[in-house]
Amino acid sequence: MKIPTITLIIVILNTYNIFGQSNRKDSLKAIELSEIVVTATRTERQLGSLTTPLTLIKKQQIQTLGALRLTEVLQEQTGLAIINDHGQGIQMQGFDPDYTLILIDGEPLVGRTAGTLELSRIAVNNIKQIEVVKGPSSSLYGSEALAGVINIITDDPDRTEGGLNVQYGANQTLNVNGQVSFKHKKLGVYLFADRYSSQGYDLNPETYGATVEPFFNHTFQSKIKYQFNSNLKLTLSGRLFQETQEQRSDIGNTTPLIVSGEGTQTDGNFLMTLDQKLGKNLKMQYRLYHTIYDTESGLRYENDQQIFDQSFFKQRFTRPEVVANYFLNDQHFLTLGVGGTLESVRATRYEGERRFNTQYIFGQYEWTPAKNLTVLGGARLDMHSVYGQQLSPKFSTRYQLVPWLALRGSVGVGFKAPDFRQLYLNFTNTTVGYTVFGTEEVVAGVERFTQAGEILNIFTDPANFTTLNPERSVAYNFGVDMQWKNGLKAEVNLFRNDIENLIETQIVARKTNNQSIFSYLNLREVFTQGAEVNVTYQLFKNLQIKGGYQYLIAKDKTVVDQLNRGEIFKRDPQTLITTRVTNSEYGGLFNRSRHMANIRLFYTYKSITASLRTIYRGRYGLGDLNGNQILDADNEYVAGYWLWNTSVAKEFGQVLRLQVGVDNLLDFRNETMIPGIAGRLWYVRAGFNFARK
Amino acid sequence: MYKSRLFLLLGLVMAFTACKKEDSDAVTPALEALTFTNLAAPGDVIDRTTGQVTQTNPFIYFSFEKGTTVSASENWDIGFKGTTLIFNSGVSGSGQGGAVIKTGTFDELTEAPESTEFRQDTNSEFAVPTGSDNGWYNYSGPPTFLITPIAGRIIMVKTFDGKYAKVEVLSYYKDAPTQPNALSDQSATYTFRYMYQADGSRTLK
Repeated sequence: MKIPTITLIIVILNTYNIFGQSNRKDSLKAIELSEIVVTATRTERQLGSLTTPLTLIKKQQIQTLGALRLTEVLQEQTGLAIINDHGQGIQMQGFDPDYTLILIDGEPLVGRTAGTLELSRIAVNNIKQIEVVKGPSSSLYGSEALAGVINIITDDPDRTEGGLNVQYGANQTLNVNGQVSFKHKKLGVYLFADRYSSQGYDLNPETYGATVEPFFNHTFQSKIKYQFNSNLKLTLSGRLFQETQEQRSDIGNTTPLIVSGEGTQTDGNFLMTLDQKLGKNLKMQYRLYHTIYDTESGLRYENDQQIFDQSFFKQRFTRPEVVANYFLNDQHFLTLGVGGTLESVRATRYEGERRFNTQYIFGQYEWTPAKNLTVLGGARLDMHSVYGQQLSPKFSTRYQLVPWLALRGSVGVGFKAPDFRQLYLNFTNTTVGYTVFGTEEVVAGVERFTQAGEILNIFTDPANFTTLNPERSVAYNFGVDMQWKNGLKAEVNLFRNDIENLIETQIVARKTNNQSIFSYLNLREVFTQGAEVNVTYQLFKNLQIKGGYQYLIAKDKTVVDQLNRGEIFKRDPQTLITTRVTNSEYGGLFNRSRHMANIRLFYTYKSITASLRTIYRGRYGLGDLNGNQILDADNEYVAGYWLWNTSVAKEFGQVLRLQVGVDNLLDFRNETMIPGIAGRLWYVRAGFNFARK
Repeated sequence: MYKSRLFLLLGLVMAFTACKKEDSDAVTPALEALTFTNLAAPGDVIDRTTGQVTQTNPFIYFSFEKGTTVSASENWDIGFKGTTLIFNSGVSGSGQGGAVIKTGTFDELTEAPESTEFRQDTNSEFAVPTGSDNGWYNYSGPPTFLITPIAGRIIMVKTFDGKYAKVEVLSYYKDAPTQPNALSDQSATYTFRYMYQADGSRTLK
């Protein structure tokens, strides 16, 4: 019988980690040791053996949460905060949502609005597991993997079964999804369909329009696997998401002037993977990926049905890639990859079709010089058609000091390429009259305005804007993993990220209408640093307790320098007296909580599972109120809050599962500051499962 | 022990010199910092859909010497309209005025800069530049749409007849509310603190 190379590695790595397995009574620990993850190294690895921090969320946990969309799952994880900025995205290690790469089965999702990829686009009932890697992974994944990577691994057709889930809850939220999985000899087929609809909600009924307008969406996913022989396997998978949402607003100055319409978004991806084993030591993978993201929106005046605004956005992304995994012997493991990316965008706000392409190579070498030591080094070179070359190295190591304690450390570089918006935007706001140009457009754009005699004065020579560099970070992570025989497990990770070349808008010129022309420049330098702690403990046989905490400091280095020079002031809103801001008053970047925590209880008794989870988000800055653009006064913060969620489920044999739950049990609301929190939400759910034994 | 004695000595020396300075300044009485409230100077009305100006509003002029608003035909020092400030010289007026922005608190900036440092309004740029973060204010944009005077930006002014004053804009909304609301509070209604030196010197304290 042939043992696949990758299994061999896992077996070998297993032997390094069996220290905990001497205590066989602890079944939980045994399970966790056998967890296989792929995102940290792009090869299958045991969770316990990684050199970088990784959070694994399994299907069963997603079910326990009663979650329907990815946001609901991620918001309960330590160190992750949901940020509302042109959509719901995730903040990781203090980075904005722009800096976390979102993958489905290892390939990137595209379609970001102002940097945020709307995570509620992603249904969760077809997810096998979610892997969250913290710290930069640009050495493997290239652009956007600056704060980290979230990889969504979808279900595999590894047996014949079918299922149907129906969930109904507050705000007339209805979700129906079903999946069929078929496995016969060499062929596996998986089909998934999901419909999600909601009436939305309105936290401020006195203003026109709802906080979340009614919407419905569909997700379809399919996967076909064919094992030609033990050395060759083909996988085809496709996913389609489509959402329609009502839009309406009152644009009248004094008397109501209603515009309304519909917005649709479509997000689709297709992946073909061919896995090939060449001999005992070499495994090849050939991948071809294509994804699209389209939005369309049309608003008309309700009184005369004239068009108020019509816009579209079409993004395309294609990537062929070849990856080779070479297994030299017990101690040496090599991964090499080469690929290319072709991206294009057409949109209302862009002149014609804009394209750019990237070619890249990456390599990773894993060395296990001793049973208790793993050393990993890697680098990736991206060659981009617009901004040039980018080299992202990373080095990490793990050392098992004593059976119950291991040390982890890594140093790595992450980067985020300038996006289409920053390079090619050509947008004039018709209501206010300002203009924004991407850096590749600004010279020609300002020239056009000059020709037309619409420029009053130029503040910055447009020629200064032509070279936009990728945003870049150097990150350090140091961690300790502890695991005691009594079932107590603790992970600590300290992190520091130094980010340079942050891209920001900068004023170029003033137009004759007194409005400005903006473009983008690499300007600021910031840092984020902090500590994350995760603890898991099997309190009783039936009760598991999990806790997590993140401490975070994130500051603008330029602001710190200005504070040191005494150049930043604040005005007391009562007395109107201006004083200097001291360094200790500076609260750092807006929207970051210094403290975030969670405590989660999971109870299992026979066929009943129950959970009670609480998530704390400490106070965070919302916006400046005392005239200095930085966070330094108490009234500039949103108060911290706790959310309590609970659920109970009972299984009836293998066939039926019933669940009831309440999210935001205490009905916490902050209508003006946090419109993304809807208030108390109850739900009931029935799941049917038909498996062939 | 030795160190603390040294500090004591230093302290005594400083106290002595400080006293001395006060004595010599005693001849000129300290200038008064005055606050002018609710100078309403609405900007032009612009149609939100077309971007065209539908109603032109006049500048509202202020004289430091008189401490009140004055008409355009009188000797004015500073003019307000929307977020735009003009000064009596260059393209804005026939006086010897000008302005320059300095960073610091109102109290610590006790001397006007050299006459040559002052800027005049020109066709291409105002002495106090317009636009968010360029001059005296910041515009927050959505969702609050607030105009906030930047703390620590003091406008040094040369008056129509070449004398000096300093101005700190305190609020852009009527009655300087502690938590202004751009959608409900009356905007373009200035509250500012100023100090005027009538003797022609650059001293502003």
